Amino acid sequence: MIVSDGVVPAIEVSDLGMVYPGGVRALKGVSFQVEKGEFLAVLGLSGSGKSTLLRCVNRLLDPTEGSVHIFGEEVTALRGSNLRKLRCRVAMIFQQFNLVKRQTVMTNVLSGALGRSRLLPSLLLTFPQAERARAQAYLERVGLPDRGDSRADALSGGQQQRVAIARALMQEPQLFLADEPVASLDPALRHSIMRHIEILNREEGLTVLCSLHDIDLVTRYATRLIALRDGELVWQGLPENFDQGIFKEIYGQEAEPASNSGY
Amino acid sequence: MRNEQDIDSPTLAARFFAQVQVVGIDALLVGTSFLMVEFLFLAFSGRRSATGLLLTAEGILDLLHYGWIAGAAVLVAIAWSATHGIFGTSPGRAMVYGLAEEERDLPWSQTFLGWFVAILIQLTFFSGWLITELDLVSFLTKFSKAADILNGLMHPQASILHQGAVLLVQTIFLAFMATAFAIPVAFVLSFPSARNLTRGTWASRLLYMAARTGMNFVRAVEPLVWALIFISWVGIGPFAGVLALWVHSVAALTKLYSEQIESIDTGPMDAIAATGATTLQILRYGVVPQVIPPFLSYTIYRWDINVRMSTIIGFVGGGGIGYILKPRVDLGEWGEVGTLVLLIAATVWLMDIASAKIRERIV
Ligand SMILES: Nc1ncnc2c1ncn2[C@@H]1O[C@H](COP(=O)(O)OP(=O)(O)O)[C@@H](O)[C@H]1O
Ligand SMILES: [Mg+2]
Repeated sequence: MIVSDGVVPAIEVSDLGMVYPGGVRALKGVSFQVEKGEFLAVLGLSGSGKSTLLRCVNRLLDPTEGSVHIFGEEVTALRGSNLRKLRCRVAMIFQQFNLVKRQTVMTNVLSGALGRSRLLPSLLLTFPQAERARAQAYLERVGLPDRGDSRADALSGGQQQRVAIARALMQEPQLFLADEPVASLDPALRHSIMRHIEILNREEGLTVLCSLHDIDLVTRYATRLIALRDGELVWQGLPENFDQGIFKEIYGQEAEPASNSGY
Repeated sequence: MRNEQDIDSPTLAARFFAQVQVVGIDALLVGTSFLMVEFLFLAFSGRRSATGLLLTAEGILDLLHYGWIAGAAVLVAIAWSATHGIFGTSPGRAMVYGLAEEERDLPWSQTFLGWFVAILIQLTFFSGWLITELDLVSFLTKFSKAADILNGLMHPQASILHQGAVLLVQTIFLAFMATAFAIPVAFVLSFPSARNLTRGTWASRLLYMAARTGMNFVRAVEPLVWALIFISWVGIGPFAGVLALWVHSVAALTKLYSEQIESIDTGPMDAIAATGATTLQILRYGVVPQVIPPFLSYTIYRWDINVRMSTIIGFVGGGGIGYILKPRVDLGEWGEVGTLVLLIAATVWLMDIASAKIRERIV
């Protein structure tokens, strides 16, 4: 269905700009590509535009300038059902997990299938048996096989983020966006979540675009990085080329690359 | 990163509008104080009307020079605005721009504004005393008549107990039906009445404006007035009472519900939208689960209010226990009135306890 002859990049962002209604300029002339199967990390201080960038890719936000192509298809101006079709192909997880807290874990995972579900049953929270089986399989995969009936807010932060990953997998996505997926987790749990994402990337070839602000995590999991500063792309390259000078370029002369940052 | 030049500086129109606001508020306050001064002056001048009687408060209100005073007030307001460097911040300026830096730490007695507000409060009390015709003498010396009523209330008569109890049942059902029918309508209306769900398109913003304006109007009209309207529509009786309380409840619940929707966490909405869900699915999954418990709590609170209202809606012919209470008050049957008042008090008291208990459980 999708052109993926190895030449067309998974994501192509060209000259992307975003000005919020209040007048805040969050992105300016950002251009980069993500090849199929890459794990691209987006670095930058808080407020540098990472969330804005990710949200322009699945069009939770409408960028004000430039364009985004996904597998060669222009998605910048999609509306209505075409926009929903795009979103079905692009899964996203968030810093705050964003589960529906008062619903069960199972319903949360099933909500990943909303894009392909029939409207009326879905409004009554009912899903076909096949979808329920699939949701159960994904719950097992993230290590929560018997928590389906718990209320989402009864789970710990790390467990909630795993449920969010299961919900994302439920979409059977071609692209995986993660907006600081471990920033509100206990440091000890960060690698567990990152490894789940790594496995999706390495073993199933899922393309990942992930914002992170922890250098250790970036150099360990990403295959390539880009860095934002004040909404502009200031550097891109491989983790092994990332050094002190570039660090100061991104985070300012005052910053210290503490290896125990956040720990 | 927020740059100063990224944020629009206030335009000329915006500054002009703020200035108009300042002068408007000042003119209103200065004008009010002038009017009260003139009122007090006339009240104590001993002037008599054409019939030779002392002027009543209403009579004096009729005589005040509204036009002249309004003009003078606007002039004073403009003058104050032009000289705020000398006389300090005016009330209107304080509301629109906040207090001037050097006035923040001063006690009220050292600013012009402080004295103005103090005098305004004094004037309000003095003229209020006269306008509402407060009469301490009657209050303290003419208790004996009211004592009859209190005596009657203390000796409730069983003769009306049966009829009262029957109508009490009607009263409670009246409140119940009004609340129950209000829930689905208010539920549907609360979504277009929520600011955070109606930013997207012009159509949704228009819908928001329409829903909000309509509901504010409906809410501003008291249930007793609605009862009069519905009585002439469907006739005297409990159905008119149900309709009156229903209309008012829809408006009140819509406001409470929509405020609840406005305060939800938008994270789950984003996450559901990101799965490719439709708008209805986003509302069902991202919004509804968050608002159900507070909605329930507000609804029970509303039923509580409706039970109180339904006891008096009968005064104008809207059915329920008030319908037999009114004639007994008019006839001075204080013993029977006592029975009915006790019935009402007991019901309201029980409702209060029940609703508090249920709400405690839900939240
Ligand atoms: N909804 C919004 N409205 C206005 N400004 C916003 C909004 N969201 C983010 N911003 C601003 O855009 C800039 C980039 O924010 P964001 O993309 O959240 O950065 P990051 O995710 O890197 O912390 C910041 O200056 C922020 O204040
Ligand atoms: Mg962010």
